[in-house]
Amino acid sequence: MSERLYINADEAKITYREFARVDMQMYDGRVFTDLEPRRLFPLSGLTKYITLIDRDMKEVAIIRDLDHILPESRQALEKCLDEYYMIPKITAILDRKEKNGLLKYKVDTNYGIREFDIRNRHSDIKNLYDGRVLFRDSDDNRYEIPDITKLDKKSWLKINIDL
Amino acid sequence: MDDAKPLINKAMPDDARGWVESQLCDGEKVLFAVVGDLSLFEKYDACTLIVTNRRAVIVDKNHENGFFSAVFSDVEKVNVKRMYGNARMNFKMKSGEEVTVFRYTYAVAELCDVAAAFIEAVSRGEDIDEQLEIVSAAYEKKMRVCPKCGRTLIRPGAECIKCQSKGKIISKLFKYVKPQGALLIIALIMSMMSTALALLPPSLTQRLVDDVLPNKKEGDLITIVLILLGSYIIGTLLNASRGYMLRIAGDRIVRYMRNDVYEKAQHLPMKFYDKTSTGSVINRISGDTNNLQAFALRISQEIIVQLFMLVGIVIIMFLKDWKLSLLALCPVPIVVLGAKYFSRKIAPFYRRIWKRWAAVSSVLTDTIPCVRVVKSFAGEKRATERFKKYNDEWYKVDVSSAKITTTFPAIVSFVITCGSLLIWGVGGTWVIKGFGGLTPGLLVAFLSYVSMFYGPINFFAYLSDSYQGALSSAERVLDILDAEPEPDFGHGNCPEKIEGKIEFRNVNFSFDRAKKTLSDINLTIEPGDIVGIVGTTGSGKSTLINLLMRFYDNYDGEILLDGQNIKDIDMGYYRSKIGYVQQEPMMFSDTIFNNIAYGVPDAHIEQVINAADVANAHDFIILQPDGYDSMLGERGVGLSGGERQRISIARAVLKNPSILVFDEATASVDSETENQIQEAIERLIYGRTTIMIAHRLSTLRKANKIVVVDKGRIIECGSHDELMALKGKFYRLIQIQSMSEQVRQQKEEEHFE
Ligand SMILES: Nc1ncnc2c1ncn2[C@@H]1O[C@H](COP(=O)(O)OP(=O)(O)OP(=O)(O)O)[C@@H](O)[C@H]1O
Ligand SMILES: [Mg+2]
Repeated sequence: MSERLYINADEAKITYREFARVDMQMYDGRVFTDLEPRRLFPLSGLTKYITLIDRDMKEVAIIRDLDHILPESRQALEKCLDEYYMIPKITAILDRKEKNGLLKYKVDTNYGIREFDIRNRHSDIKNLYDGRVLFRDSDDNRYEIPDITKLDKKSWLKINIDL
Repeated sequence: MDDAKPLINKAMPDDARGWVESQLCDGEKVLFAVVGDLSLFEKYDACTLIVTNRRAVIVDKNHENGFFSAVFSDVEKVNVKRMYGNARMNFKMKSGEEVTVFRYTYAVAELCDVAAAFIEAVSRGEDIDEQLEIVSAAYEKKMRVCPKCGRTLIRPGAECIKCQSKGKIISKLFKYVKPQGALLIIALIMSMMSTALALLPPSLTQRLVDDVLPNKKEGDLITIVLILLGSYIIGTLLNASRGYMLRIAGDRIVRYMRNDVYEKAQHLPMKFYDKTSTGSVINRISGDTNNLQAFALRISQEIIVQLFMLVGIVIIMFLKDWKLSLLALCPVPIVVLGAKYFSRKIAPFYRRIWKRWAAVSSVLTDTIPCVRVVKSFAGEKRATERFKKYNDEWYKVDVSSAKITTTFPAIVSFVITCGSLLIWGVGGTWVIKGFGGLTPGLLVAFLSYVSMFYGPINFFAYLSDSYQGALSSAERVLDILDAEPEPDFGHGNCPEKIEGKIEFRNVNFSFDRAKKTLSDINLTIEPGDIVGIVGTTGSGKSTLINLLMRFYDNYDGEILLDGQNIKDIDMGYYRSKIGYVQQEPMMFSDTIFNNIAYGVPDAHIEQVINAADVANAHDFIILQPDGYDSMLGERGVGLSGGERQRISIARAVLKNPSILVFDEATASVDSETENQIQEAIERLIYGRTTIMIAHRLSTLRKANKIVVVDKGRIIECGSHDELMALKGKFYRLIQIQSMSEQVRQQKEEEHFE
């Protein structure tokens, strides 16, 4: 097993390529092209531990923390991650109905208004201890409420039943 | 096909319709369209992929002019990339340029996959009509949903099990209550009688106070006391026997319900267990059924009794003194309104308490069986802490609900006491002033009625509370009772002889939409073939077998046995014909004998011994002090890994199956035992179709066909020699393994020197 390449700070310059992929040029001259950034902790750590995977699905490097790398690199990576991970943030709950054993939600998100179905409130709605609430709809799409305590009262009353 | 309407997943949005109306050329027509839900720049928006007989068009405002169009002949490849919660479609043009043309969420990902394959195939010059058939099959599957709840139906026109059985919870419970009808009715009559009896004493005390005591009628006193005694005795007898009957009825209800839930749980598909924790299933079977039983009794008995009592008391009160009665009714509205408010407050708590409790029990079911791991990593403290954390969460929610559940009754009883004070005050004044002919006896009797009267009021006030609790229990029990069982449409179809020809045709499968586990599996296994499946770990080998075993049935394509779709064969029969040795051998906490005989409970002792012998298990079993009677601990504790594996081989052998499947059956035994087992297997597999998954390629020396799986695809398939000649993945695997084998031998030789 070769030594894992960790990127800590400014030893690499990362540039956006296309289709949510990047190229990386190392300070020591090494060049890696066509890499796909992915989060190692998509739920719990949004800016930490980003892995870069090449075309053969092999990991090339891990970035420890986006906050510590070059701002341009960070921008490029964030652009990719934003494209790759689509977890709409729910800003308001417009409607919640129970029909035929399905929960029908209508929500406002940072992607616009969306309606979706939840099959099973026990397994498809999770509230984490940090106040986040994660949803998985009947199509396996994800949504999240970033902070349940910041939700307006009306929305809160609607979702309260399912928590 | 000419006038066929274009296939579409939902109504076409205006801009797409506009495009169709204005831009179609002569002779061009729309074949199918996918209405998506995302725009290129990540906003929810209805964008559309339209495929005509000449080109593919994507209508999205973010494209120049509002659409992107590509003639098939310009397209070289269509790349579909599934990301997280969304996916994109890229066209790679013959000019070398690659563009993202369409984005969508998982909601339409399946259709887009098919569309991409269509565009690519047609660009390659394949027949449009043939390709369109595949597309239309995909549409049909997608559209095969229950019109009510949107769940995918198993086949077109099938009744949706979820909706069909969706009735009122009460009527579902009634199914369990009904058989106890006679008992319940007798109990009901008894309680009506005892209620009626309970209404008697206050009237008698009224006579005592107003007539017997002031007029010193000793004879009447004794009569009345005796009557009262008699009524108490009868009341007590009635109540005791009623309690006994209700207990029996209740126990029967919960017994049948538990049996049903357990039976149903056995028939649920693997999919259910992938998502549901054991703890929560156990909770439902043990706790929730109890809640429901209590509730069923409540609504079948108490409601009627309490109502009867309420009406009786109100009538008596009004007959005795209507003015006082009106006074007594004053606090009722407060209590009723309060109860309404209360039940709204408490409803979410029941679910939350249960969820927390389920979390606690899932820690239990998770860590207690893993206690070895816990100990070996000195994790006792962490395990305790984790348990404490969840238990504390439960505690917090329970306590916060306790505030509500205890405050409310206190307030109610306060209001009620105030009500009786009111009657004392007003009624007392009336007695003193001699107003309206109110006597002291009547006042005393009235007060006892009032105190009885609040019993039912309180009951009805709390009814919604217990209803809420029962409702969430019911929901969880029905979650199991109503869940779709593994479909068995071929029930009763048991082909007489199984040759053992297995075919996978265009099988695609994913556990969830985020990741495809098997893609384009096409494989034919002839009767009597010995097929080895190799591939890196996680490549999908066991999943392939899972599909063959019908543990998951939501795959695309079909799997045939002797030319019949396996979904059309009786499931129990089908599985009984396959001897499956799992990767992780699972044992029951039972004797070794029963573990081997699990699949054939009526097997003859010698058959079992024989099977054990074939699996090379007999030799170690005879050395156990208790021999075949040795009790195994949970999941086979007490046996080594290799011993467990041999028992599970014996179990499969005993079934005398037509098809044998070994998933890493010899992974945890030494080379010598492996050789022995191999020989045993070789004896056994004679004439049977056999599938062997193996990491150690030496295991596969008998295989006449080897399938190499990589990342969910079959990348190589053929005989050992063919694959060696191919010099592909298999060749490399062999080289690596024989290399490490050589190294090992060298090492061993060195040691001997
Ligand atoms: N129940 C499940 N739910 C979701 N994903 C699963 C499930 N079971 C397996 N997988 C995934 O499917 C893929 C294939 O798994 P599978 O068990 O078929 O591998 P395998 O080829 O048998 O590997 P091994 O040689 O290690 O046994 C893996 O990536 C695995 O993570
Ligand atoms: Mg496996």
